[in-house]
Order: sequence, then C-alpha cells, then structure tokens
Amino acid sequence: MKDLATLFQAMASRQWSWLVAGIVAGILVIAANVTLMAVSGWFIASMAVAGVTKVAFNYAVPAAAIRGLALIRTLGRYAERLVTHEAAFRMLADLRSWMFERLIPLAPAGLEGYAGGDLSGRLRADVDNMESLYLRIVAPIATGFAVILLAPCALALFSPAAGLALFAALFAAGVVLPLATRKMAAAPGERSVQLAGELRTVVTEGLQGAEELLLLGASAEQAHRVELLYAGIVKEQRRLGSINGIVIATVTATGGIALAALLAIGATELSPSGITGPELVMMLLYAAASFEGVAPLAAALQAVPASAATAGRLNELATAPHPVPESAANCVPEGHEIVFRDVCFSYGAGAEVLNNFSLTIRDGSRVALTGRSGRGKSSIVELLLRFRPYRGSITIGGAELRDIDSRAVASLITAVPQRPHLFNSSIRDNILLGAPDADSNRIREALGDSGLAGWVDGLPDGLDTAVGVAGSAVSGGEAKRIALARSLLHDSPIFLLDEPTEGLDGETERMVVERLQRRLAGKTVLLISHRPACLALAERVIRI
Amino acid sequence: MTEPILEHQEVEPEAWLRHQARLVRRSLAIAIIIGVVGGLLIIAQARALATACHALVITTTHRQNILPLIVTIALLALLRGACAYLAEKQVVRAATEVKQQIISRLYRRLQLLLPAGVAGEDAGTLAEIVTSGVEGVESYLTRFLPHLVLAALLPLLILIVIVPLEWRAGLVLLFSAPFIPLLMVLIGKGAQRLNQQQWGELTRMAGHLLDLVQGLPDLKIFGAARREAAMVAEVSDQYRRSTMAVLRVAFLSALMLEFFATVGTALVAVITGFMLLSGKLALIDGLFILLLAPEFYLPLRTLGLSWHSRMNGTAAAARIVPLLLRPLPQQESGVLPPPNTPPGLCLENVTFRYGGERGGIRDISVKIPGASLTAIVGESGSGKSTLARVLLGLSAPEQGRVLVDGLDLNSFEQRRWRERLAWVAQRPFFSAASIRDNLLTAASAASDDELMTALDAAALADVVRRLPQGLDTMLGDRGAGLSGGELRRLALARLMLRNPLLVVLDEPTAGLDLENERLLLDTIERLAVGRTMIIISHSEEALRSCDHLVRLADGRLAAMTAQTGMAEVMA
Repeated sequence: MKDLATLFQAMASRQWSWLVAGIVAGILVIAANVTLMAVSGWFIASMAVAGVTKVAFNYAVPAAAIRGLALIRTLGRYAERLVTHEAAFRMLADLRSWMFERLIPLAPAGLEGYAGGDLSGRLRADVDNMESLYLRIVAPIATGFAVILLAPCALALFSPAAGLALFAALFAAGVVLPLATRKMAAAPGERSVQLAGELRTVVTEGLQGAEELLLLGASAEQAHRVELLYAGIVKEQRRLGSINGIVIATVTATGGIALAALLAIGATELSPSGITGPELVMMLLYAAASFEGVAPLAAALQAVPASAATAGRLNELATAPHPVPESAANCVPEGHEIVFRDVCFSYGAGAEVLNNFSLTIRDGSRVALTGRSGRGKSSIVELLLRFRPYRGSITIGGAELRDIDSRAVASLITAVPQRPHLFNSSIRDNILLGAPDADSNRIREALGDSGLAGWVDGLPDGLDTAVGVAGSAVSGGEAKRIALARSLLHDSPIFLLDEPTEGLDGETERMVVERLQRRLAGKTVLLISHRPACLALAERVIRI
Repeated sequence: MTEPILEHQEVEPEAWLRHQARLVRRSLAIAIIIGVVGGLLIIAQARALATACHALVITTTHRQNILPLIVTIALLALLRGACAYLAEKQVVRAATEVKQQIISRLYRRLQLLLPAGVAGEDAGTLAEIVTSGVEGVESYLTRFLPHLVLAALLPLLILIVIVPLEWRAGLVLLFSAPFIPLLMVLIGKGAQRLNQQQWGELTRMAGHLLDLVQGLPDLKIFGAARREAAMVAEVSDQYRRSTMAVLRVAFLSALMLEFFATVGTALVAVITGFMLLSGKLALIDGLFILLLAPEFYLPLRTLGLSWHSRMNGTAAAARIVPLLLRPLPQQESGVLPPPNTPPGLCLENVTFRYGGERGGIRDISVKIPGASLTAIVGESGSGKSTLARVLLGLSAPEQGRVLVDGLDLNSFEQRRWRERLAWVAQRPFFSAASIRDNLLTAASAASDDELMTALDAAALADVVRRLPQGLDTMLGDRGAGLSGGELRRLALARLMLRNPLLVVLDEPTAGLDLENERLLLDTIERLAVGRTMIIISHSEEALRSCDHLVRLADGRLAAMTAQTGMAEVMA
C-alpha cells in the first residue's frame, strides 16, 4: 500500500485539478441519475393514483424535471468520461518520465539484475497498468463512498429506517463484500502480475535469440516454457474470473434483497401521516438506482492488490540504491590528469577484476592498455565514466571521481564503450547524440575521421539510413565507427576509446589511426586495444 | 490444429476473431443461455415489485399479504446473482482457452519467422504483440461477443412482454432501438481506424522506451539522458493526445446510445403516465413497463460500452493475423536424412535481400568442400553474415539454390539437419539464467564434468572456477557479468557440447587480445578436425590456417581462392 501511495503521489502531484474534477463530475452524474429515477417513479405512481381517485394532478413540473435530469445525466456522463481519462493519461505521462528519470542514475550497474524484457515490461505494461490506479481505483472509490454516505441521507428525510436499510445494503455491496473477496483475490492477483512479468522476459529473450535457439535445438523447449508459464497465468486468471463472478453475483443479489427490505419497511410506514403511495414507489426506484453508483466500487477495491503489486515492482526500481551516488562534496577538477591509486573493483559479489590497480595518465598524454580480456580493461573505462563503484582512489585533475558531479564528468569525458548502443533511428541522429547542434561540416569531418565517409556516401539514403533496432541493420564494425564519430563530435578534454578500430580492415584502420593522431592532439586519452596499428596512437602502452 | 480460414491470404481481423470464438462456442453458448435466464429473472422480479406496489398503493392491501411477494423478490435476487456468477465463469474459461492457443501458435511461428529474417518486425515489438497483444483479444471474447448476442435477444424478450400490455410503449421502444446499432456502427467505424493508429503508437512507444533504457549508458556518456527524459514525457503526451482523440469519438457513440435510451424511457414514462391518468392502465402494468423500459435498453447500452472491447480486440487481431499468415520460409521439410559426414556445400546463383538494398547477397556461386576450414572475408555490410545464414538454411534464397553434398538443402529433414549445425553469432544469445542453464540449452543431459570439459576446451574453465558461484553464476541481461571475450568463449563451449558437423563462427575473435585470440583459434582448429567449418572474420590471425577464402564485396563474390593464393587476396 505504501508503494501505491508513493506512486500515486508521483502521478498526481501536478494533476490535482483534473483529478478532483473527474471525481466531482462522477458524483454529479450519479446524483442526476438517481433523482431521475426517483422522480419518474413518483410521477407514474401519482398519475395512477390520480387516475383512480380522479383528483387533478399537475404533471407539468415533474415532466419538465424528468427532461432536464435526463439531459444532465446524458451529457454529464460524456463529460465525466472525458475528464477522468484526460486526468488518467496526464498522470500516466508524468509517471513515465518520473520513472525514466529514476533509471538514469541506475544505469548500467543498477539495471543489470533486470532482464531486458522485464525491464521494458516494468516501464511499459506496468506503467500502463497504473492507468487503472485512477480510472478504476481512485475515482470509483471516491464516488462510491460519496454515494454510500449521501444517498441514504436523502432517503432518511422520508424514512429514517429506510435510510438506514439502504446504508446497510450499500455498505455491504460496496465495501464489505468487495473487501471479503479482495482477500481471496490478493494472492492470485499478485501471482498473475509476477507471472506476466516472467512471461514477458521469457518471450523477449526467446525471440531475440530465436536463431541461436533454433540451431541449438532449444526452440521447442523455449516454446514449452512460454506455454507452461502462460498456463500458470491462465490458472490465476480463471481464479480471478471466479472471484469477479462472486462479486458481481453478491452485488446483484444484495441489490434485490435491499429492494425487498425497503418494500417491507415502506409497507409498514405507509399511512396518511407517514409515507404516501407515490413516495413508496419513488423510494424503491431511488434505492435501485443508487446501487448503480456503488457497482464499480467492488471492482475497484478488488483491483487494489494487483495494482499494489505493480506499484511495488515499479517502486522497487525507482528506489533502488544508486551504484555511484552523487556526492555533496561537488569537487571541481583542475586539469585533466587521471590518477588511479590502489583501485579495487569487482562485479557485484564476484571475483576481483581489479586488484590494487595504479596508473597515472598525465594531462594531454595518450596511454594505451593492452592484455588478455577479462583483466578489467573495459571496467577501467566504466569506472572512469562513474558507472560503477570502486574502492581506492581515482582522481581527475586532483578531484576524487566519486565526488565530482556526474554532469561534470559527462562534459569532461567522451567515450567509445566496448559495446556501444545505437538507437533505433538514422545514422545522423545517432551521431548527433554527441552534439545536437553540430552543423553539416562538423558532421562530415567526424565521419571522415572515423573512416565512415565512404560508406555513408555509398548508402542510398546517406546519413538518413536507419540503423535498425539496437543497430541491427548495420554490422558490428559500422556500429563501432558510428559510436566513434559521435564521440569525436562531442569533443571533450578526455577521451576513453575501447577498441575503436574493432572490425576495420587493415587499410581503413591505418587511415583512421592517422586521422585520430591529429584529431586527438592535446587530449588526454586512455585507449584499449590489442591491435598493433591502433596501439600506435598511444605514447605509452601498458600491459595488464 | 487445422486452420482452414488461414489459407486465405486476406483475412479480416474480426472474421479471424469470430473463428477463434467458434473454437469455444460451447462455453460461449452456455454463457449466453445463462444470460437469457438472467433476463427472464429480471422480468419476473419487475413483475413482483409492480404487483406489490399496486397492492400497497392502489388496492391498499394489508402489508402482511404482500409478504410472499417480498420473499419472492429476495429469492429472485439470489437466483440472478447465481446466473451472473456462472456466466462470468464461462466467458473467462472460454477466453483463456482461446488466448492459450493463440500464444502457443503465434510464439512457435515467430520462432521460425525470425531466424529466416522475414518476421518484418524486431523482436521487441513482436514480444509486445505476443504478450499484451494477445491479452487484447480477451475483452472481445468475454465482453463484446456475448453482449452482442444478448443485445439481440433480451430486448426482444422484454418487447414480447410489454406489447400486449401497452402497445404504444412497445412501439416507442421498437422504433428507438434500431437507431442505436445504426449509430454505433457509423461512429464505431471511424473510431476503429483511429484505434488502430493508436495501437501502432503504443507498440512504437514500447520499443522507444526499451531502446532508450538499453542505451542509457551511452546517453549518460554524452550527458543526453535528461534531454531524453524530456522526450519520454513528450512521447507519452503525444500518446495521450492521440488516445483522447480516439476516446472522444468512442465515447460519442456511448453518448448517443444513452441519449436514445433516455429519450425512449422518458417517452414510455409519459405515455404510460397518461394512460394511467386516464384510467386505461393499472399501476401494476404501468410500473411494470416503467421498470422494464431501462432494462430494454440496458443490453444495447452494455453493447455500446463494450464497443471499444471490440476495437481493442480487432486492433490486436490486426497485428496478430498477418504474423500467423506470413508464409513460413520453408513450408515443407524434406524426408532425406542429412549427411553423417562433414558436408560439402555449394551455392548456385544465390540471391537474398532483406527487402532493402543493403546487407543482402546477389548472384553468388561458391563451392565449399566438406571437412574444410573456410574463411569469408569482406568489408562490413558486404553480405558475409547473410551468406552464412543462407548456407545454414536459416534464410531461404530468393533465387538460386543451396546444395549439400550435391542435394538441395530443402530435401533434407530440416530438424535433423539443424542438429548437425552450430552457429556462434556476433553477439551470442544468452538468457538471464545461470551459466550452467545457458550451456544446457545445447545439451540438456550434459553432466557438470562434461560442461567443465567444454569450458576447458574454450579456455574458460579457470574463469568459471574462479567465480564464487561457479557454474551457478547468473548471467544478467545480454550476458552481463562476463567480458565480451568470455561470452564468445562461452558460446563456443556451448557449441562444443553439441558436436556439430557444420560450424559457422561469426567474427569469433573480435575484441580478443592476441593471447586469447591464439588460444581460441587453437581451440577452433582442434574443433575443425572432421567438421566443415566456416569463419567470418577480419582478423588475419584467424585466416592463417584456413583452407579456402571467400571474399565478398557489396553483396557479390569478389574472389575465391585456395590457401596458396592468400597473400594476393589479402593485399
């Protein structure tokens, strides 16, 4: 429940006016409907009594009231739907960017525990599920409670006993029965949310790796996993369906029984000094109509556990500890000398990748690291990017790295990571990530220096060629060079290059290295490579 | 399962949905019968209530005499509750059964379409269709279809009861009713188009977010993460605007429905009222009609409210159906047993393009002898990976053919042919499971000793032994936890467990240091004995010991040489 409150706070903080407007509109529509039915019943019975007793009856006023109320009900319902949905989507948009902003400090170290499908599921399906938080939970509960409290009060003006009976029935149908079934629905609700997350992970994984699974002969097994998982979901959905059936059934039955009870009460109070005949009919129709107001309450209360589970999953993500928290010290580097002193690092609880590693890269110098893979070379790049926590000391320009603001690090350091990510957009957009306002001359320059110019010129769509999802439409080498081009465009005093010439043929590699020699003049560079041609870029090569 | 309807190329999403419903027609029929019984109970309850009111208000019967009526009303209420419960249970049973079948068929089909490069969408979008998309089908089956039938039956039932009592009221109902479905269809059509757009936007948005989150490290490098956070808000806001545009129209149909229902009820009330005033109608019948008038419109209104269930269902079906209809790359598997010795391969004028201009291959003829080590080289984008996929039989050539030991690749039993293949991709696939489980995907019965032997052959045994949890170490998303080189070797270890006859290694040594590269190449050479081995690589080291070299340029064959001519080709 705490998770739900936190999430709701994040969604609602900017949208209170929409939120309240939706609830008020809902209450007005129900009030119009209930009054309409009451007036109609009274009108019919009065006409019948007048027909029998031949006493004159002024039908003009109730007939006009019926028309007016009918109009309010019809248009009010439309307005209410629009307002509540507008509120819901506004809250959803706020929630989505709120979530994304909370993921930023977590990436990459804090997100590795979540598989891609599950993570995107939390971001999309789970966030979308929170749409129901307002539309199907908060708003119906607010209007439902208003009906439970207000509708019996109006009835009590005619007969306190009838008011009490209606309150008891509405309270039973709207609160007691749903809460009783809520308990039943809690476990299957939570399980179905959890299983749906697992299903998304398994399906995403299985489809991303479809080729290899096919050749490994593991396709059928993976399909079986999917089917098994879905069978589990079906079991929970059927259980939830039964519980939902019980709710509908009990609310329907309670409504009818309440009508019977009101008929009994009305019959005893029917007297010339008490309730008149037309008033009895009015009370009955009024009570029947007021049940419509609490009908959604049952479903709303029942949806709470599933929503709480969803909120829990999202909140777990949003409140995960930052792998490298921002520091209050806010140190400002003076110069660009990088010093590693007795740095130790391991992935999670794994074996130490770096053990008392020390290295000094003087301002403006170019140092290359080479050596067997798995020795932590790429980890060094990630540590410098402030992606992962370390023990020991890393300083840039004398300032301790963990005490430098992460935004300052971003403007200080540019990197070509070991496995760069290309966004599903054009080559141009991917390169412009480095410098959104770069002009075409600068783009051309960066393309040339990263050995891409010829290739891009040969493409029918040139720079506007789409790179596909995660760069699937370009080869690994091309992706690396696009990443190189965007880092060159970004331009900063410190460059970290992890295998920048991977996938290049010898001739292009020599050309790129030669261009980089010029381009990186005066920069502080940390290079990782095992290719001799590329290592020529560095003034100092260190084997680790 | 037979799917006669799927043999037609043009299948309306809704026709397909109804076909699915036919598979569970028994459950749906029972639900509808229960719904009709519920309608009869409503009529009975209204009659009992009207009788009681008439007795109390007009004939001023003593209240004790209406006690049986009160008990009847309460009992009818309980029966109505029971009907509602049973009907709900039936529709959920039907819907879940259908969804189960769709997921299974869709997923298994995608498993064949994706490797052949003809799925037409990326894996993330397809996963979205398999999960959320299939769930979208549910409300069509549980809400729309039963409501559609009940909307035809229940009003008729009520009309039959009302007309003999007061034909004028019956006439009002009869003539206002047809407007409702008419308007629904008119407005629904427009909304449906909008809805389909919106579904497309939803899946695009899902892909966009996954893309951004996976690229977060890169965004952070360029200080662009906050900028993209604003984009997330903007994309969500666009989604809100387009969804609201759909809803404004969708809700309009509900507004119209309610309008007609309300006007109809008001007219009935007025007619009944004046009949009562003139004494031509008794309160028992007048009230009975008034109580039933809203019930006459209720099924139609319910249908109107479930109209967007229909739109959701058909929009989801519109995404699912084309995937189920897309022809499988190799419709038939041959019957011949595949060779038991390292196969020789021969491509004859093979062309395959992904549908775009780049990355495909054109008119390639190549001969690769059995039990040889062949390297395929060429610039990035020159078609090396495509060539490998065609050689493995993953992609069926658009033109030309692939011969295995002189016979068409398609004439072999495909399942057994695949058992003899292995492929290590540029970015090997690992699931978020333990190292052991990832290895076991290749050979489910292998013992830990066998796993360690395979790891040893890939020079990875020591690395795994050093991990605190050894084989039980969990690999995160995309195999996070091991370095790039280690993952490559893990993929190699996995393929060794399968003992394949034809192996394709896509850039096996990229990103490895010289020492590791040599280690891996030694392993590959050992592995190559008695196998047909194809290596796609840039690395000169990797080409050192190969027997043949195929050089591609721009999707065409540039050179084909035996080892002796290597120097010329490389130059």
